Amino acid sequence: MFEAVAGNLEKYMSLLSTRQKLVASNIANADTPGYRTKDIDFRAEFAQQMQAQECDGMPVTDPQTIEPDGLPVKADGNNVSLDREARMLAENAMRFQVASSLAQAELHSIRSALQEGPSS
Amino acid sequence: MSLFSALSVSASGMSAQRARTELLVENLANADTTRTPEGGPYRRKDAVFASDPSAGQFSALFESQVNPASSGVRVAQVITDQRDPEMRYMPGHPDANKDGYVAYPRMNPAEDMVDLLSASRGYQANVAAISAVKDMINHSLDLFK
Repeated sequence: MFEAVAGNLEKYMSLLSTRQKLVASNIANADTPGYRTKDIDFRAEFAQQMQAQECDGMPVTDPQTIEPDGLPVKADGNNVSLDREARMLAENAMRFQVASSLAQAELHSIRSALQEGPSS
Repeated sequence: MSLFSALSVSASGMSAQRARTELLVENLANADTTRTPEGGPYRRKDAVFASDPSAGQFSALFESQVNPASSGVRVAQVITDQRDPEMRYMPGHPDANKDGYVAYPRMNPAEDMVDLLSASRGYQANVAAISAVKDMINHSLDLFK
């Protein structure tokens, strides 16, 4: 019962932290000549992990890093857009917060069930 | 855990931007320096950044071996401006040459101020990244409560 919901949440949170790590790396390298923005294809990676969970034996692969297209390249070959990274930073943090609140609510309801309903 | 290595990546960004700020401040302070230990006027310095898979800490080093995608940053090189010094006519100056010209650093304060702003914004962006990641870690820890 718990795994069905929290298992997916765990994958979601783990992918979010992978993505957040890449965002941190992009921000740190915002002034590095030749550096290219890195990201993961979130939808595809999440679908892949869900699929791996459904059919047992299918290996869970590490998320593949991609370099998103369409970002303007500066004169030094760097294409980090701080606006994009700031948006991603906030978005990932909020999504993570939602996921952890959901997981916590799930844990609370199970704890409540274990204690035979709300205690005094 | 991967989120902790994001902290050291951002910390490497902060220290690189701080090193750059130090060079820029040094440039501004020496805008009118005509004597240096190497001889001649002061020359403008700037930092060149390079991405660094191992951002110093053990966890970051380990992470970079496992998953080389995320990388910190380091100051790869400090470049010295090789442009000719600016000659100012000041016959009474002790460093004046025989024609009465003094070699001053070729310095454009606007250039340094803009770079200083950019370094300071870069530093702030790294601090924002650290606090976002720290919130995420705290939210994960709240699951234990």
